[in-house]
Amino acid sequence: MASQGDDGPLVGRTDTLADIQSDLRNVGSGGTAAVFVTGESGVGKSRLLRETADALRETGFAVLSGTCLDIGDASPLHPVLQALRRHGGATNTTATSTAAAGADDAGALLDRVSHDLRAIAGDKPLLLVLDDLQWADRSTRQLLLYLLAGLGDVRISVLAAIRAEALHGTHPLRRVLAELRRLRSVRVVDLAPLNQDQTRELVTAIVGGNVAIEDADRVYKRSGGNPFVAEELARDLRDGQVELSDTLREIFLTRVDELPPNAHQVVHAMAAGVEPVDHAVLARVVKLPEDQLLEAIRVAVAHRFVSSDGDGYRLRHRLVAEVLEQEVLPAESAALHRRYAESLESEPGEPDHARLAHHWQRAGVPSRALPPVVAAARSAEAMYGFAEAHRYWSIALQLVSEDDADRTPLLGNAAESAHQCGEHLLALSRLEELAGRKDAPGQGDLHLRRARYLAAAGRTATAETEYELALESADCTPQLRASAAAFLAELLVQLARYADAHERAREALELAAVQGTTADLVRASAALGFSAAFREDPDAGLAVIRHAVEIAERSGHPDDLGVAYLHLAELLTGPLNSIEEGILVARRGAERLSTLGGGRAHQSRLLAIAANGLFRIGQWTEADAVLEAAMRHRPSGAEAVELLLARCRLLVGYGDLEDAARDLDSAATLLAGGGARHVLPMLTLRAGLAMWLGEHADARAAVQRGLTETRSDDLVLLGVLAWHGLRAEAEAHAAGKPVDQGAIRRLLMVRDRMASGAGNAGPAARAIIDAYLDLCAAELSRIEGRHDPEPWARAAAIWDRRQQPYPAAYARLRHAEASLQRKVRRAAAVTGLRQAYATATAMGARPFAAEIVGIAHRFRVVLADDMPTVPMSLPDQPVDELALLTGREREVLAAVAEGLTNREIGERLFISERTVGVHLGHIFDKLQVRTRVQASRVYLTAA
Amino acid sequence: MTQAIWGPVQQEMSDLLKRHPDDVPGVVDQLTKLQEVLCRVPPLLNSNPLADFNQLYLTITENVLERLYDGKFKDPGFLSRLDVEFAARYFDALRYWTDGSPACPGVWAGLFGRIPGPDARPLPSAVAGVNAHINFDLPFALVTTFDHLGTDPIDGSDQHHDYLQVNDIFNEEIPGLRRGYLDRWQLLIDTMNGELDDWWQGEMVEYTRNVAWRNSQKIWAIRHDMIALDKQRRRLDDTATGLGKLLLSPFADFLQ
Repeated sequence: MASQGDDGPLVGRTDTLADIQSDLRNVGSGGTAAVFVTGESGVGKSRLLRETADALRETGFAVLSGTCLDIGDASPLHPVLQALRRHGGATNTTATSTAAAGADDAGALLDRVSHDLRAIAGDKPLLLVLDDLQWADRSTRQLLLYLLAGLGDVRISVLAAIRAEALHGTHPLRRVLAELRRLRSVRVVDLAPLNQDQTRELVTAIVGGNVAIEDADRVYKRSGGNPFVAEELARDLRDGQVELSDTLREIFLTRVDELPPNAHQVVHAMAAGVEPVDHAVLARVVKLPEDQLLEAIRVAVAHRFVSSDGDGYRLRHRLVAEVLEQEVLPAESAALHRRYAESLESEPGEPDHARLAHHWQRAGVPSRALPPVVAAARSAEAMYGFAEAHRYWSIALQLVSEDDADRTPLLGNAAESAHQCGEHLLALSRLEELAGRKDAPGQGDLHLRRARYLAAAGRTATAETEYELALESADCTPQLRASAAAFLAELLVQLARYADAHERAREALELAAVQGTTADLVRASAALGFSAAFREDPDAGLAVIRHAVEIAERSGHPDDLGVAYLHLAELLTGPLNSIEEGILVARRGAERLSTLGGGRAHQSRLLAIAANGLFRIGQWTEADAVLEAAMRHRPSGAEAVELLLARCRLLVGYGDLEDAARDLDSAATLLAGGGARHVLPMLTLRAGLAMWLGEHADARAAVQRGLTETRSDDLVLLGVLAWHGLRAEAEAHAAGKPVDQGAIRRLLMVRDRMASGAGNAGPAARAIIDAYLDLCAAELSRIEGRHDPEPWARAAAIWDRRQQPYPAAYARLRHAEASLQRKVRRAAAVTGLRQAYATATAMGARPFAAEIVGIAHRFRVVLADDMPTVPMSLPDQPVDELALLTGREREVLAAVAEGLTNREIGERLFISERTVGVHLGHIFDKLQVRTRVQASRVYLTAA
Repeated sequence: MTQAIWGPVQQEMSDLLKRHPDDVPGVVDQLTKLQEVLCRVPPLLNSNPLADFNQLYLTITENVLERLYDGKFKDPGFLSRLDVEFAARYFDALRYWTDGSPACPGVWAGLFGRIPGPDARPLPSAVAGVNAHINFDLPFALVTTFDHLGTDPIDGSDQHHDYLQVNDIFNEEIPGLRRGYLDRWQLLIDTMNGELDDWWQGEMVEYTRNVAWRNSQKIWAIRHDMIALDKQRRRLDDTATGLGKLLLSPFADFLQ
């Protein structure tokens, strides 16, 4: 925070500086890198940031810098928008703020900011420097994770400083850093104080010439190696003040006393301001004639209190501000804040509500503070900063007295905003206060809101009671009743009380049909549909939800439509196991939403469902295309995590392990901000990836961690984990590496728990659990070296029935391997192996196909007529790449290069869509490519 | 130069503390490695107060891990995160102490400062560590965990249920630990007074753990207010430091 050119020598940080620069340059395959510098105040974080920024700017980086504010109630995205403004000057200011305010949803806002960042970077690498990140609002933290996950499509390096003191308590960044620490692209640098030798070096450099060792060591002792304090003490030493001050406070108080009156006034005024303080604002606060003011500022700068840069004035260090704040009398401070507030109000244009509110509050004038606080809350809501909005509404409540009529609407807003940002307890207590007021809303309304907050807080039993109270209350309007009934039915489905849910949903649907909104209708239909489906009447359930889609189509509202399509797609791909139809519905829904131009989040979720379904039925090329399209929509938040995990799964299957690891890191980056339900899929993928890399210990660790975090009644999740765990041990065993008996013992316990719990699961879940139990049994026979083909045959059959070719082919491979090993039924084994190979190549599962070829080679099995039985080692660049293709495959490829879809190709060549997929798989495999675009490129170059 | 606070194991200690375990098996592993190193800190070696605490903590965490594997908790995701976040605070304190940083909480500094002696009894030492960890670290670890998972600390919730289950583990482990330290004639006295003493210690842990839960609810409400939070932190540190001093004083010998 010191002004440039005013710095003392930089001691003891050369290596750190070099490391930071190299870490920031090394963006890796994800295109992002981050260094977080933590350390106590005065340890030199800001200095390190500045030095690094200068060095990188010289080597061609575009640099943006922002500082977070400690007024505790800054506006959403403050430091980043500030950085953009500083860079673009006045014209960009309006552009940025309107861009921000006009976004359709939170995701669109993140996208626009990324767009601005891309525009600034041009073709340069971008460095974003953020100081005092401990004061960043929640939106800024989310933006940071979004950018670091690569979702903004900006090649960006982030350098941020965090005060170590802030991390001791419960600061949210604590967990964020703990999660990010393990990623390859993130470095956390804990900046330690200087040691005794380094302090001596610093003191000598400042004093110049000879320093008595005792003096230098005294500085070390007093400063504890804190460079800022050591520097100031060394200056005292240089200036002949033999008695070293004991504390920083004393150093600065002595210096303040030495200032001439005008400069003294400027320094005190600065202590009350929000940095950077604009010159015009300061002039109105200090009320000195211009020339005297300039002189006073010059003196304050010379005495190292104040520094000045393009934006205005700052105190040289936060530590100075903290010393001075305690020195200003309360009355004096109130007067200063009032002058700041008045000065800001007299500025032309829209005032900065957050700052204005801050000053009026501290000026002790609540009535003047209220309007800017409310304005700040509304503008935070417009930017989807619900946490920030909630803080403003809470401040507003502190500003009005009990009997103020404004209090009632403020309480309503405060409760709703608390609910929106996940502060359920606070939401409920605000609602209690609201209920106790004379002009409170009606009983029905209150019960409904209380029920929604309780349900969100996971207190389902009390929520249910409240919904019932809402339905029974005398003043409940028909609309409210329809909403309450629909919400209640939805809650009952979540609680798996399908009979009750069914009854409630039926009532709700009747109510909603007459008086309800489309949202109520859709919610009630979904509850009815799912409860029917779970009660083993899938056709009736399906019909209801299909009808809901029609209703939503008529209303045409993107949110209703998105929700309805999601329910239908989830029902089909989930409990009904009609995956192909589910995929169709999901894709159609996403397409509808995209033509309507709304419901971003719903679109992303629909595409994720489609991609996961396509992956399961083995149509990987299509899954890839869907994911590519989905990522172009720039998803954010939970939807982005889902899509990244889906793509990672596909990349692991393709054998593109480097990119898979990149996606996994991106997902982990987003999850550092919270999101417990995606942790287990992430761990499962981590285990799968580690297995292909031959890192069995990593796979084992990921599975074991997963086991400690899975609920014992989540049998399906446990099944996936147990299979991965046992497979990892089997692979380790096969590779001649040690197996972990303790891990196996625990996995077997989990298997037993699944086996005993499967009886109580619903039919859909039971089928999946059984399938995993078979896989577990089969892997176990592998670990024990029994080479038993039987369990593998069972597993292959069950996965065939579930129409999931990948695990089925895997089971076939192992079946063949065991049979060949035992030298039994060779013919069946060879057929199975060939079948598995055909599936693997059709999907493009390269590492899997290579494994099959390896085994075929070992047992001298010929896989296909045109396939040599050697491991895949095709010549690097065949002269005519297309020579490998059959006539039919060439025709298909030609059509692909024209840009036709599988269906269109099928129609043209009179073959089924699925056969087109199989041909494509062969083409990809032979050409060693992974996407349609790459295949087309090969075709066009060769043709 | 930083003084070698850990004497001959300084380097091993600071290498070990560079790791940041992110799951419960990782925490158990870290505590196991720490135990091995702590038992080589002169002059007291195996019988230094921190080794006594670390051993107890290791035993308890192993027990938690076993229960996690056995599916005994309602919300294992919560308990795992809590366990990791809780342990991270102990490792942080050790790290600050190793770096000679003033950021080391007073309550931990009190215990770490006793490593070179004078000799304290193992049981009060272990309890002093438990005091630091529960009275000071736990409420903050709870708040951070709830914040990360996006849920509130609510009485009677699944998380509260799991949290209380950890009390049982303390109750199981402390009497066992106690008997392990006693020589023959003390065992005789223990058999006579054992029940009473065990009850007293069991109560203490349960009592302080309940206080920690209440404190976490208090902190939860003010967690966005950094100044109030800092004040609360200092208050908790001071209280716990006082209790810690008492436990490490000759007065606490009656415990053993």
